[in-house]
Amino acid sequence: MEDVGSPTTRRRLLAGTATGIAGSLAGCTERLWSRAESPGPDQVSLTIKAVPADDDIIAAKIASQLRENFETAGIDATFEPIAKAELHRNVLLGGDYDVFVARHAGIDEYDALRGLLHSRYATEAGWQNPFQFSDVTADDLLETQLTTADEDRDRVLSELFDHLTETVPYTVVAFPSRIGAVGTTLSETVSGPPYRPIDYLEILSEPPDEGPQDRPLEVGVFGEALTSRLNPIVVDSNQIPALLALLYDPLVYRTDDGAIPWLAEDVEWDGGSLLEARVTLRDDQRWHDGESLDAEDVAFTHRFLRDTSLGDTESGVPAPQYRGQQSLVESVEAVDSRTVEFSLRTTNRETAIRAFQVPVLPAHVWEPRSTVVGERQTEALVHDNEEPIGSGLFELEAVTDDTEVELVPFTDHVFYDADDRPSVVEEFPQFDGIRFVVAPNSGAVVDLLEEEEIDLTGTPLPADETGRVSDLPGGSVLTEQTDEFYMVGYNSHHEQLGNPHFRRLLSRLLDRDHAAAELLDGFAEPARSLGSLFGVYESELTDEETELTTFPGSDGEVDAEQARSLFEAENYRYEDGALLE
Amino acid sequence: MSLAQVVLELALVVTTMLVTATLVFVGPRRLVAAVRGYRWRLEACLLPIAALGVVLALRWSTRDVALRLERRVVGHNITHTLFALEQRLLGETPVVFLQSIQTEALTEFFVFIYIYGYAFLLLFPIVAYFALEEMEELSTLLLAFTANYGIGLVCYMLFIAYGPRNFDPLVFEPLLYDAFPQSRALTNQVNQNTNVFPSLHTSLSMTVFFLAWLTRDRYPLWVPLSGFLAISVALSTMYLGIHWFLDVVAGTVLALISVYIGVNYTVDGIVSTGRRYLARRFDRIGKPGSE
Repeated sequence: MEDVGSPTTRRRLLAGTATGIAGSLAGCTERLWSRAESPGPDQVSLTIKAVPADDDIIAAKIASQLRENFETAGIDATFEPIAKAELHRNVLLGGDYDVFVARHAGIDEYDALRGLLHSRYATEAGWQNPFQFSDVTADDLLETQLTTADEDRDRVLSELFDHLTETVPYTVVAFPSRIGAVGTTLSETVSGPPYRPIDYLEILSEPPDEGPQDRPLEVGVFGEALTSRLNPIVVDSNQIPALLALLYDPLVYRTDDGAIPWLAEDVEWDGGSLLEARVTLRDDQRWHDGESLDAEDVAFTHRFLRDTSLGDTESGVPAPQYRGQQSLVESVEAVDSRTVEFSLRTTNRETAIRAFQVPVLPAHVWEPRSTVVGERQTEALVHDNEEPIGSGLFELEAVTDDTEVELVPFTDHVFYDADDRPSVVEEFPQFDGIRFVVAPNSGAVVDLLEEEEIDLTGTPLPADETGRVSDLPGGSVLTEQTDEFYMVGYNSHHEQLGNPHFRRLLSRLLDRDHAAAELLDGFAEPARSLGSLFGVYESELTDEETELTTFPGSDGEVDAEQARSLFEAENYRYEDGALLE
Repeated sequence: MSLAQVVLELALVVTTMLVTATLVFVGPRRLVAAVRGYRWRLEACLLPIAALGVVLALRWSTRDVALRLERRVVGHNITHTLFALEQRLLGETPVVFLQSIQTEALTEFFVFIYIYGYAFLLLFPIVAYFALEEMEELSTLLLAFTANYGIGLVCYMLFIAYGPRNFDPLVFEPLLYDAFPQSRALTNQVNQNTNVFPSLHTSLSMTVFFLAWLTRDRYPLWVPLSGFLAISVALSTMYLGIHWFLDVVAGTVLALISVYIGVNYTVDGIVSTGRRYLARRFDRIGKPGSE
């Protein structure tokens, strides 16, 4: 037992170690406890949704750039590419997103902002307030612009734009030029890439150099699942541009040179304060299935767009498309077979005409589709409408799945052979219909043009195809500035995005000049003025610039320090470069 | 070039490659013998052919339903996860590196490998194993292909992911479709652009390579060639911006699993096990009070 002391020493040593460990653990556990009991703020995290590069390379580029810039500013940002139909489901139907980047068809009239922003539509599907934005001041101004005119209205709208720069429910990045391509046959007759139905009507009414053709006009398009749904009133689908609008006629077409009465022969305005309109339809109009088109169809269309369940649900199931326009109509009534009377919610004719631009639907086809099939869902909104029956100058001949769609002229249309038709369609038709050829991507569309399989392109081309097109013998590039714009939308129901200051800071994190020059290869005008930041391309109201366009960085890259000081000035805190909630 | 032309060209090129390879690796004598005895050979691997046919037909016929189910019900979008994980694990995703060494010749090589080399790699072993004295290898190959497609299909339903070219066009270039836009017409017939994880191009190619190794005493020269092609296919999917590195890793794992299934099981065995199991269940149900 010589080493009797050694166990003691060992024991002491052990005890000492244990105390030491316990002591240090105590400090550690205290920290763990406190962290578990009151967790500190987490890093702000945002998911950006946009279509993948296959569908729209510009949207994907903007979303990528945005992700990078958000990350530099300390936000945990992710980009989630998502197919177009699904993006629309997520953003326009489900409100299931934080931030999205999308190409918007454009604001045709200031009143379009009402559908986009009024809180009344926050619960509706479609492009009706997809931001869940609710702001009493904005609502007020959006209502007032309906019933004011001239300078008064301008003042209201200016005030609205000022207010929007404070609240920023969404922001516009740039207005792209639409890029198209045309082959030899039409290079002399077509001046801009077609995108509205009226553009196609013009092309088909313009005699080509070689005289009228007994073949269809061949148009190359690309995109995913373009032919699977032909329903004009849904948003969760990908569609060939202008196709459905060629099948379904409106009462009135609006062009750059003014309105052209279409199904309507005449519109008589009345009413001291709120407008009333008496619309007379053209005589003897027919649907593609031979049924006659009358005033009841027009009245039905407006009732149906307001509530596709036709009164079967308590609060109604509005159509996700054309709701903004339709909501201008207070009431509508078919007086006789050719006369419809509208009571409108506005005092401005320019605004009121928007209501007449919705496609008229045949009551005998759509009325049976009012059956309620689920929560806020009617048959009409889930139907694929494989055989669209409209009243347009074209009727659907055949659809080959994901390959082609063929339209033929509708010989029973009042404009088909008449003497007194509008000048745009005076020499209609110079081709025997339209054939949309679906290609897998933009490169393949240009291939088709090269092999003279198509006359021109119908889906906007990415800028990097322009080089190849100009190299083609006889091929030429078409560009045209349109009202379309790329936008970044914020979900106001998101914890951080509900804060307008935060949205305003986020909106500054994209270099719009750089985006237009680099991401859109110069084929775009950046949004700079107050109006253009919210989608109005050329506004006479205001060309003021705002701090929203001062970018905290240079050449598209955010400067971390500058961004940080912006957020800190709004009382946001940082930890290890991460922006905290 | 329309789809028909693309397919015709593919058929011509691949047939030429197949004929050449058959003459070199299999030899005319063995080929003649195989053609003479085609009947018993087909009968011997009828079941695996049927199984592969069923899985392919299932895939084809349920495309629309599967797409809807994947995108709206069961699928998880993991694109960003793949990207972020690769960045965290490797500092930078290998796709960026591969695309940085881009040359015109390399692009042409990889486009050729991705389309023609791949088709050849999958078809040639079918011919080669068909010419053997026993049909065991061919059955194994076919069952492994079936497992690849079957498991791949389930993964595609569960994971929605877009490839690099679709995720960030600022960083990744869509080289395949820039060089050969019409190939999309071809790939569209077989695939959606969300079918990325795992890479079936990699898994099927690796399956062929692993089986070539296992049957190296039959076709010793096929081992290095199939290895070269399989690795080139895997690299091409990344170089061309179609797949992530992790898709390729998952594809290789799937190949290992499929080869394991192919070697250790037979369709016959799986069917009879299933039948026995069902019989037992029915037996129990048939006798009331037995449970």
